[in-house]
Amino acid sequence: MITGTGVVKTFKQRGKLLGAREVRALRGVDFSIPKGGAASFIGESGCGKTTLGRIIAGLESYDEGEIAIGGEPMSALTTKQRQPHFRKIQMIHQDPYSALNPTRTVHQTLHAPLALRAKQTGRSRQWMEERAAEVLTLVGLDPGTVLARYPHQLSGGMRQRVVIARALTVDPEMLVADEAVSMIDVSLRLGILALLKDLRERLGVSVLFITHDVATARYIGADGELYVIYRGQVVERGPVDTIIADPVHPYTQSLLSAIPVLHGLERPGEQPVVPLESLDESQSDEGCLFARRCPFRDERCASERPLLQITTGAPQEHACFHPARRDVIARPMSEV
Amino acid sequence: MANQAPGVRIDGLTVVYKTPAGELPAVRGVSLRLEPGSITGIVGESGSGKSTLALSLLNAVQPPGRIAAGSVEIDGLGDVTGLRGEQLRKARGKHIGYVFQAAQNSLNPLKTVGKQLLDLGRSHGVDDLRGLVREARELLGRMGLDGARVLDSHQHELSGGMRQRVGIMLALVLNAHLVVLDEPTTALDMITQANILKIVREVHAERGLTTLVITHDIGVVAEVADRLAVMYGGRLVEQGPTREVLGAPRHPYTQGLIKAIPRLVGDIDEARALPGRPPALATVPKEGCVFRERCPSRMDVCDTVDPEPTADGPRIVACHAVTAPVAEPGTLDKEHA
Repeated sequence: MITGTGVVKTFKQRGKLLGAREVRALRGVDFSIPKGGAASFIGESGCGKTTLGRIIAGLESYDEGEIAIGGEPMSALTTKQRQPHFRKIQMIHQDPYSALNPTRTVHQTLHAPLALRAKQTGRSRQWMEERAAEVLTLVGLDPGTVLARYPHQLSGGMRQRVVIARALTVDPEMLVADEAVSMIDVSLRLGILALLKDLRERLGVSVLFITHDVATARYIGADGELYVIYRGQVVERGPVDTIIADPVHPYTQSLLSAIPVLHGLERPGEQPVVPLESLDESQSDEGCLFARRCPFRDERCASERPLLQITTGAPQEHACFHPARRDVIARPMSEV
Repeated sequence: MANQAPGVRIDGLTVVYKTPAGELPAVRGVSLRLEPGSITGIVGESGSGKSTLALSLLNAVQPPGRIAAGSVEIDGLGDVTGLRGEQLRKARGKHIGYVFQAAQNSLNPLKTVGKQLLDLGRSHGVDDLRGLVREARELLGRMGLDGARVLDSHQHELSGGMRQRVGIMLALVLNAHLVVLDEPTTALDMITQANILKIVREVHAERGLTTLVITHDIGVVAEVADRLAVMYGGRLVEQGPTREVLGAPRHPYTQGLIKAIPRLVGDIDEARALPGRPPALATVPKEGCVFRERCPSRMDVCDTVDPEPTADGPRIVACHAVTAPVAEPGTLDKEHA
């Protein structure tokens, strides 16, 4: 179980010309990912979803709030004490081409973390070889053919599987997949998504999925929680299928409206939401963060910030003064 | 050349790359028509040859690659595969605008957008540079940007979506009427992508263009293109009106590709990945159908005979199972056994 309460992160940019500028990447985010569970962070680039993922994986510090792993607050520990906790959380990056060392074979890539593991637990070399073959089989690769290969001899999908296999060598409790399929060929994407889902079911590994493509979030599991993040704030959260079928926040609705419609196979939603302007980091911090772009804003939105609250009669939460259901997503023609 | 949308006729185009294993075709025997004023979308995975095909329109395939056979006829220019040197340089930019893959990285980081615009104007012998800047400002304004500010900016001061629009502006500012967009929305998030696609559609209609969009994302083609062509292993395996192809795909690869797209509604277990992986230059089968290794409808004939593209009204499919759906006796026996 990993929980976060009021996590705040501010990046200070140093600059001689423009002076110091602060970017508020996270403005007090709460989340909770149960053991073996799944969660997805959704939002545009620059919304803070990757920063949050990196904080959860222990790759980034946070300024305020608390992250607790298995009930233990991380801020109370020294860096060294934190290490074994964060090792349980492994990150899978977007680009499998740069995540692997091009001069190392798959065998060498898997060897390093396994050697550490073997030293800690007093296991033999024999165990390392067996474990390397085991994790490769788990991710759907044939150890016999890939162990001796270099990254350039593998396809994008295979490389991403090797990255996942490497993460599995340390018996993680959670995988953080940051846009893990966006650079994979379309025909192979579902295979990687199915693999993550399968690892959840078979090994009980929880999965945190970070993406701008809402549709892929469904494939991690219907029991997953979806967090829609906008400018460092969670603006809507709830079960994946609820948020996709019945979003009430205009920002969630604009994300869903932007997904291409397969004309000929689907008909578009009847009330698409299009933001009034594009994301501009320098927009004011006053009132609702989405107000400038929101087609449904009023005076209150300009001066007061809505907080996350329970949506009446629905299993989700939203941060909006004017929540409303709208028909935004495309549906198959056969459903009409 | 007339100020109107040109038609393009690609016939039997083959582009080969020289490798240690000999010359291998990245594009093989491709025939495709771009009707004047239409938007055509080419969909394919990495290594399908879609970018090589697009570069052939500019006769810009670089060594070790070369156009080995076929022709690319563009109205007002003739067969571009025969153009050389200065003729070719002039055709690019003035007649054919090209928005490169990752336009965000194709700008010069040391020069402002405005300076690059002037470079472009000078290299094409534009006398009225003021007019060119005015035109650029109007185009940028049309795409929802502050033209003056963008022209004064370096690329690092612009967001991904803004750079993409700068790429489109540079492709159109010399008044080209044939525009090629290579992966116009890769690396952009959904809202920006929707915005760029809307701009592509509107600018296409307003300026009277013939547009070719190259992408790996069927969603992008579904949003903008009138006509869709699917490439696999260097071959065009299916083409036709977008809605018809998406509504009732005929080639097994197109069917698989559409099934593999994660959707927002419906049973998620219905979506599945295609088995196997797309072929690379060296692993494209020498004979027989390029898709057979991953094909659910594979027959004996697929191993030896490459299916010819066969037209049925506006739709063209290259697949034995579609054009000759009657199974051979041999395959029937195997199924019963």
